[in-house]
Order: sequence, then C-alpha cells, then structure tokens
Amino acid sequence: MEKDARPNWDNPLQFLLACVSYAVGLGNVWRFPYLCQMHGGGGFLIPYLIMLILEGVPLFCLELAIGQKMRLGSIGAWTAINPYLGGVGLASVVTSTYLCLYYNIINAWSFWYLFNSFQSVLPWGDCPINANGTGYVEECEKATPTQYFFYRETLNISSSIEVNGGIQTSQALLLLLAWVISYLFIIRGIKSTGKVVYFTATFPYVVLFIYLIWGFTLHGAVNGVKYMFTPKMEQLANPTTWINAATQIFFSLGLGFGSLIAFASYNEYNNNFERQAIMVSLINSGTSVFASIVTFAIYGFKATFNYENCLERTRLLLLNTFDLAEDTISLDTVFEWIDKLNATYPQEFAEISSKLETCDLESELDGAVEGPGLAFIVYSEAIKNMPLPQLWSVLYFSMLLLLGMGSMLGNITAIITPLRDFKATSCISNELFNGLVCMFCFLLGLGFTTTSGSYWFTMFNDYGATFSLLFVVLIEVITISYIYGSKRFEKDVEDMLGHRPNLYWRIMWKFVSPLLLITIFIFYIVSYIRGGTPTYQAWNKELGKSEVTEYPVFGQVFIGLLLLSSVSCVPLTALYVYCRKRKHGHHPRERTVSTVCD
Amino acid sequence: MLEKTFFLLCLSSALGNELCTPGASDGYKVRLSINTALGEEAYPWNPNEMFLFRASLAFAMRNHIAGQIFEVSNIVVCDETPRVSFWFVVTSPLNPSELVNKGNVEEAVRKSRNRINSAFLLSDNTLEFVGIPPTLAAPVSPDTPPWLIVFGVVMGAVGAGIVAVLVLSVVQKKRKKSRKTEDEDTEVEIRPKAMENGDGVYNPSFTDEEPITQM
Repeated sequence: MEKDARPNWDNPLQFLLACVSYAVGLGNVWRFPYLCQMHGGGGFLIPYLIMLILEGVPLFCLELAIGQKMRLGSIGAWTAINPYLGGVGLASVVTSTYLCLYYNIINAWSFWYLFNSFQSVLPWGDCPINANGTGYVEECEKATPTQYFFYRETLNISSSIEVNGGIQTSQALLLLLAWVISYLFIIRGIKSTGKVVYFTATFPYVVLFIYLIWGFTLHGAVNGVKYMFTPKMEQLANPTTWINAATQIFFSLGLGFGSLIAFASYNEYNNNFERQAIMVSLINSGTSVFASIVTFAIYGFKATFNYENCLERTRLLLLNTFDLAEDTISLDTVFEWIDKLNATYPQEFAEISSKLETCDLESELDGAVEGPGLAFIVYSEAIKNMPLPQLWSVLYFSMLLLLGMGSMLGNITAIITPLRDFKATSCISNELFNGLVCMFCFLLGLGFTTTSGSYWFTMFNDYGATFSLLFVVLIEVITISYIYGSKRFEKDVEDMLGHRPNLYWRIMWKFVSPLLLITIFIFYIVSYIRGGTPTYQAWNKELGKSEVTEYPVFGQVFIGLLLLSSVSCVPLTALYVYCRKRKHGHHPRERTVSTVCD
Repeated sequence: MLEKTFFLLCLSSALGNELCTPGASDGYKVRLSINTALGEEAYPWNPNEMFLFRASLAFAMRNHIAGQIFEVSNIVVCDETPRVSFWFVVTSPLNPSELVNKGNVEEAVRKSRNRINSAFLLSDNTLEFVGIPPTLAAPVSPDTPPWLIVFGVVMGAVGAGIVAVLVLSVVQKKRKKSRKTEDEDTEVEIRPKAMENGDGVYNPSFTDEEPITQM
C-alpha cells in the first residue's frame, strides 16, 4: 500500500477549470484590447486566430502531455525526459518564483480599490482639497483625479527608481492579505485548489456578462465598439502585428512556467488532455475577445463622456465671451458657431483662441492604454461617471481580483509541485511547506510595496518572465521533437489517450511551432539590441504625467541578472549532471540484481 | 413734496447709472446659467427676477455690515445681456454717490452665497460671481479610513478559515493514527498463536485468518 499516493483532481472538470482559471488572467483584460486597438481592430483577430492554431494549442497540449505522462513537477519531469535537461524545469521554477513575487502586488492593488469602493463618494472621483483650503492639490490639478489617486494615494510613487522611501503600510497590509488568501487556496495542494477553481474560473464570466449588458446601455458605448471592430487591414502587412499576435497567444496561455505540467501531473493517466487543451485554448482566446468588447464599450462611454464635456466647456466659453442667450448654442451646433463667431468677431475670437480646446471623439478613442494603467486608471475613471458607481466598482475590482488570484494558484502550484517531488521535502507536511513558500514570497514581495516598488514591478513585469519563457519553451519543444524523439512521444500519447496524435499535432510539434518560436526569439533579441538602454515610465509629480526615463546602471545590471538567472539554469544543470556522471563513471559501483521494479 | 421725491429718485438713479459701468473697480459681473441648471423647468429672466436679485443682495449686505440699512435701490445694475449676465455695484446707504468697496461686497456675498443661490434654485457654478470663486466643500475625513474596516473584516474571515482548515487536518491526522494503531493491535494478537513452537516458520496459508476466502 502506497503511503503517499500522488493526490488527484476530484474530477476532470476541476482540472479543466484550474487550467481555465490559470490561463484566463489579467492579460486577457488589459493586454489584448490594447493590441487589438494598436493593430487594426477587428483585423487583428486574423493573425491572432492563426497563431492560436499554429502555436497556442500545440504547445499547450505538449505541456499537458508531459505533465500527465511523467506525473512529476517540471524539474522531475524534465530530468526524467533527459537528465541533462533537468535545468529546463529549474528555469521554469525560477521564472515562476519571480512571477509569484511580483504578481500578488496587482492583487493587493485590486484589494485597495475594492475596499475603497465602499464609500458614499468614490475617492478617485474628485481631487482632494489642499492644506489651506483654497483650491485643489496641485499635483491632482495637473493630472486627473484618477491618476492622482493611483500614483499618489495608492502607490505614493517616488520620482524614479533610484529614489526610495519606506514601505507603504497600506500596500504591505494588502499584500499580506493577498498572500494569506493565496495560502488558504493552496493550503492542501490541489485538494483545496480544486474546490476554489469552481469559483475563480466562473465568477469573472458572470461579471463580464453583466458588464457587457450594462456597457451597451451606456451612452456612447457603441462608438467604442464600432471603432474597435472597424478593421484596418493595412496593419496586417506590418510584421509587428504578427509577432505581437504570436507573443500574446504565447504569454496568455501561460506556457513555460511549469504550471501546466504541475496541474497535469495530478491527472489520471488516461485523461483526455488533447480535448481539454483545445477547449482551454479556445476558452482563453474567446475570453480575450469578449473582454475587449466590454473594454471598448467602456472606452466608448468614457470617450463620449469626455468629448461631450469638452463640447460643453467650449459652448460655455463661447456663450460667456459673446454674452449670447443660453439656448442659442446647443452641443450639436458648437462647431458651426465657432466658425460663425470667428468670421463675425475675429478680434474677440483671437483673444479666447488660446482657451479653446479641440474636441475630437477619434482622438479620445485613440488614447490606447495597456497594463495596470488601463485597469486601474482608465476603468476607474469610466466607473466614476456611471450611475451607482460603488456597485460597478465593487463588481469590476472583484473580477480583477479573481482573475489575478486564479492565475496565482497556477503560479504557486508551479513552484510547490516540483519542490515536493524531492525526497528531502516529503517529510514536511503539506500545510507547513506551502506556508513556508507563501511566507518567503511575501517577505521578498514587500520590496514592491515601497515608494519605488512600482518601478521594480514594471522591471520584473517586462523582463522577469518574457525572454526566459521563450527560451524555456523553445528548448522544451526541440527536446521533445528531436532529443526525446517525436516517435517516442507519440507512443506515450497513444499510451495515454488510446490513439496516436493525428497529422496536425505531428506537424505542429515537429516543424511549425519550433519555427515560430525561433522567429519570435530572434525578433526579441533584435529588438533588445536595437532598443538601446531599457527605459521605464517615471511619474513626474510637478508636471503630473509619466516620463520616459532610462534605467540607471544598477537597474540594467539587475535586468541582466533576471534574464541570466533563469536562462543559465539550463546549461549549468547540464554541466553539473555531466560532471557528476563523469565522476561516477570513474568509480563504477557493483551492480546488484534488483527485483524491485519502479 | 411729490416733486422732491421724484427729483431725488431721478438723481439717485442717474448717479447710480454713472457709478455702474462694466469693468468698474468696485463692481462684480454676475452670470446666471438658468437653462443649464434647470433644463425644462427653467424660468424666464425678467425684471421681477432682477428685483429678487437686487433684494437678496441687499439682504446679504445687511447681514454683513451691521447697522447699515441697505435698500434695493442701493444695488445698482447695468449692462444686462441676453446671456443673462450683468454688472452690479453697491452704493452706501449713508451716501448714495459712494460705492461700498469690493472687499466688503465679496465678504457679504460669500457669507450669504447659499441663501442667494437657493433664492434662484441655482448653485455656485450656475450663479457665478466672476471673481468670487465658489466655496469648496470641506473634506469629510472619517477617523478610521473605510478601507481599513473592510480589510479587518476580510482578514479576520480568512484567518479564521485557515485556522479551521489547519485544525481539521490535525484532527484528521490524529484519527488516522489512532485507527492505524488499532489495526496493528489486532494483527499482533493473531500472530503469537502460530509462533508458539518457536522453531517453526510462519506460513500464512495455514492460519485461520479472515482474508483467506472461505470454501
């Protein structure tokens, strides 16, 4: 009787929901709509879907197959495939650790916004009044109230990555809460994760659906959706569009972290992962499109609101300068009147021309934002103008929270599963080990709650897990197809599923996906070299906006360390194993006949 | 008698007209945006409304400068436009050719701003005194920030959840252990019967154990 049998998912649905919860994350909400807007709206769906078929689904299926076959975490699985390539698993664990460190900060921010929504007046709606009560705080006047709330009251951001203040107590407390909740979700490994994913995978869709219906009732929402879906086909000729589509599919599915291998390792041996891989990939991409429809409806509402406010201000300016009766100019006739008044009173008009703003709906819609800026600044600005803003705010930030928490489950499992495979850790109880991992990540993550923490966050986000993942997955697919052998792999799949993988899988695994990955890889290297010194956006409180700043030397060194530390795991482990084998090769041990089978 | 009062009235209004000019140093421009504020329920601007304005301003002046009795005639208005904007100056009740200075007028308006606004169903933004900024609402800052309260509640709930799960797993482990020791005890009882001879070998196929199928 096995003392510590490997735990299993209660049913295949839990595994499916865990994968969905992991893959559907914040990137679907804040990266895909941006890419859609940048690369020609509806037309972007074409390269996106093509890349899904060529790269997304095959690589996803590959990782699930490895996990299910080897029944070990990433380190154990890759060591079993080829002892020299155990470093691939180690690189995955290192990258996952980096991700765990900084990802929960986003959840802390979501908590901050969520808890601050329980007020009669949303705090990011208006500027706070300055110390002597004569007007609004200057920084808030120069920027917008929502930007001020994010940069000053949430982050208390410093002027650059070199300037450091102390730890923000509020952020530290919320980070603690985020880790405590993460611990509660993974406390017993997948036995607890399996129950949590029923909620984390499904609730975001409920909120998205509510927002979709609500969004379309908002005034001006249709403008946004129309703008998004109007395809600009000429963007398809731009190679960056295709590269971005490929990269987005790649990162959105969460390949290379080892989470998929970890999840799949708890499956029954004959689980139909092929069908599940297709389902999860399609659900993930479908959610991206769904989320961007909602995002663009909200964009449209916000842009129309700002545009109409601009028109109203212009109308008032004209009325006040020329002392016309109130009902002479309406919102629709503002532009006509501008021309008329310019013609009839050119002198007075010239005086106010400096105060006259250009109101343009297209330029409002054009302001594409991605990342935390979209989620926390743009969205909160749109929400404050809705009726019953507290309700919409609570709904939205709980959705963000669940998306982030769902992805965290996969990230933490990616670290815990391979480490638990080692004999040394199996004597510690599940709960204690998971607690130690969470505590370790929390303490290191406190660095991101300092005043310059958000700049470190950006650095980790941009460099910690991008290049290394491409490298890892490239090695993975080449290993399986050529070193382990595609025939051997196909036999393993047949063993598990009962049928050989068909032509599509074979071609993708052997030729198309590796080729695509190499292309993206080369493209990344070229843009790193061409890009010069890496830069980030620093918040300038005097001007009230973000400025592009170069990383200082220690920052660049740190970026190099981030990249090297995960990538170098592969060659270093290979070297280590090679040296060990040579050492043992000099002292051959007596072989005893062993009747105990594995 | 009647001629005298008539003459005085004409004089005061003539004087007043001279004192009130757009851009006067002691005067203020007032702008009303009735349509913006009230939409369909907007009332038309007519001399009666103007009378109300002058009366409410006289009221404000009386409130501010104690002792002096300001009358409607002390509020002089000029340069009315279709926008509904006009200039006004305040003459002193003691000397109709003298203007009350700007600072006093501003103070008076500030003090009674709310009352003047409500007389017209308007707000600080729709009844503008150009040059007198609207009063900013005092910030409401509760002692405990509301987010901290929600945080405390959620943290407490999660903490209780973790403690519950840990206690549950410890209890389960204890139960498993006690069940295991029970099984071991029963096994130990069966064995000694067969090993009584000492130099025999324990052959399980000849023991009378339950697991062996009954024929």
